[in-house]
Amino acid sequence: MNLLTVSCTHQTADLAVRERLAFANDDHLRRAYQRLTGLFPEAEFVIVSTCNRVEIHTAATATANIPSFAQLAQFLAEFHQLPLDEFVGELREFNGSAAVAHLFEVVSSLDSMVLGEPQIVHQIKEAYRVAEENQTCGPFTHGWFQAAIRTSAKVRSETRLAEGKVSIASVAVGEFAKSIFDHFGDKRVLVIGAGEMAEETLRYLQEEGVTEIIVVNRSPERAQRLARDFGGIAVPWVELDAWLRQADVIVSTTGADQPIVDAARFKAVRKGISGKPVFVLDLGAPRDFDPSVGELDDVFLYDIDSLQRTCEENRKARSREIEKAEKIIEAETARLMAEFYRRAGGEVVTRLIEGWHEIAQQELDRLFRKSTHLDEQDRQAIERTVARIVNKLLHPPLEALKDESQDGTAHGLINALRKLFGL
Amino acid sequence: MPNVGVMCFLASYGLAMAAEMSRFGWRNRFSQWLMLGLTIAGLVAHTLYLILRAQETKLPPLLSSSHDWLLVLAWLAVLVYLFVTTLERDLATGVIVLPLVVGLVVASLFVNRSSAAPISAYHGWIMLHVSLLVFGMGGVLASLVAGLMYLWQHTRLKHRQSMQPGQTLPSLEWLEKLNRVAVLISVPLLTFGMVLGGGLVLLGREDATLPQRVLRDPLVIGSGVCWLLMAGMFIWLLRSRVTPGRQVARLTVWSCGFLLLTVIGTQVLTRFTPGNTLHGSAARSQPADSSAQELP
Repeated sequence: MNLLTVSCTHQTADLAVRERLAFANDDHLRRAYQRLTGLFPEAEFVIVSTCNRVEIHTAATATANIPSFAQLAQFLAEFHQLPLDEFVGELREFNGSAAVAHLFEVVSSLDSMVLGEPQIVHQIKEAYRVAEENQTCGPFTHGWFQAAIRTSAKVRSETRLAEGKVSIASVAVGEFAKSIFDHFGDKRVLVIGAGEMAEETLRYLQEEGVTEIIVVNRSPERAQRLARDFGGIAVPWVELDAWLRQADVIVSTTGADQPIVDAARFKAVRKGISGKPVFVLDLGAPRDFDPSVGELDDVFLYDIDSLQRTCEENRKARSREIEKAEKIIEAETARLMAEFYRRAGGEVVTRLIEGWHEIAQQELDRLFRKSTHLDEQDRQAIERTVARIVNKLLHPPLEALKDESQDGTAHGLINALRKLFGL
Repeated sequence: MPNVGVMCFLASYGLAMAAEMSRFGWRNRFSQWLMLGLTIAGLVAHTLYLILRAQETKLPPLLSSSHDWLLVLAWLAVLVYLFVTTLERDLATGVIVLPLVVGLVVASLFVNRSSAAPISAYHGWIMLHVSLLVFGMGGVLASLVAGLMYLWQHTRLKHRQSMQPGQTLPSLEWLEKLNRVAVLISVPLLTFGMVLGGGLVLLGREDATLPQRVLRDPLVIGSGVCWLLMAGMFIWLLRSRVTPGRQVARLTVWSCGFLLLTVIGTQVLTRFTPGNTLHGSAARSQPADSSAQELP
């Protein structure tokens, strides 16, 4: 069995390169799959194309004709009509168990730009679904991708990798705005300025059900564009106070060089409607709202610094989980590779692996019975070390078996293994 | 018959409270399950205890004594708490509810345990009187919990602090609604309960000493004062729609806390002032034939 991944991600390539290699829609993907299956009819393919990565995962039996790294790079160049030397240096290649581990890391979001982000698992599932639709999957890619999705679920349930929000807008909405308001369907959102951060925040707010959006900006064109994009209305700058009075959520992102709203102004415009909580998200740098506004009763003012601290804490908490996630991935990779080897070498390989692990376990049990001073942590460490030794010792014969299988069924080697290890 | 004492479930609730508090230090699924398991064990022992008490006194727990009355209130609080926790496991309700439950159970140890004599003629009315008061007090307890959670959430948001992983609090908007609803429900219940109590006193007017005994009963006086306070807040809540949520929460915490302390405090006092109350065993000093006017 052969596994190969060719990858171009945010870690090696700029957006300019990634977007030229991307498969923008289902039609692109359909044509790509047609071309690939035309070139390599015996191989299985899954293409993953997102804003942060373009990857081709391919697998085939040992005897089948699987594309090489160079051939896949050539395919990308021809398909996207790009000179090869413009991107080939940005590509990475993963073979065998490294390819399996790479996909597991990707789907568990260890390889993502934002560690622990949840979208990637949906993107991988979607990529797998589209490949299935195009009939480019087979027994190896089915096993590979289904194991990847299972691994992702395991990583997410057994670690805290996906906990806590890590972008300013998501922290603002997810951790704070949602703690103030029970629902957003009846809330009025006022956007002051029309910056990119405001757009991102509006996306999160719309996901929560916000429908009424008012945009006020010194430049009416930009206000109208933003309002149009989010189904809101643009109002002139002179109406700012009137809308400050009525808003439940205020997102401010102007380029003003000093605060545009202070406590006295805010208190004056909201006179008579106290008791109604208001969430103010000041994304301006310098700040648009004077910090004294946050001292008013039922005004919850958040600026970039206060949110950045929460983001950083959440990021650190996630980073502490990487090691735990890698251990899960290592174990799941070994399990899947064992499964693939079992398929490749049949019963003999399974019995060899199981037999060696069984002997190792028997010896460990004997050692643990005698060494009562060892605590649970020591035992687990010894078990892991022994498992790694067994896997490393097994690796050369299994690799030899794999290599042998490339030239046909490895009857000779399988018989030799049977005799040598009494299987 | 199992031998179940107050200490059985008090210990369970106490340990559950400790497990809940430990979640502030480190997040652990085990402590969460332990806390749930201990609370359920406590509830089972609590239920058994109330059943055994009812069999022993041959009266429903609500009519039996102040001791049982407080335990019923605590039992209701645990039941609601478990229901809420089952729906939303990460909700940090236990941090507030469990100390209140422990407080109620501890208070039950210091009030009258002896039961009042049963009254066959007005049994149903007395049952309704006490039930209304207990459910009214349940509403007060809910309002207190909502108010405390509101202040906790408000302080956290003002200080821009994240919640501990695995812990959540309801939104301010939701807590404010719950607070208002709890007060608006509990005040009519308490009012009807009080009115019914007054009616029962009038029904026993053949006893010439009864009006004086009612006016001297610390429980009646304490409950009356608290009812006035709650009724005042009820009217204020109905009339004011623009009061800051934090102010409402503070006021409900103070008034509900005061009400709970007064009701429990007066019940503790009646234990040491026999003969001054119509509620519970202190009334036993009255002649046997006047027991027809005793209230639980």
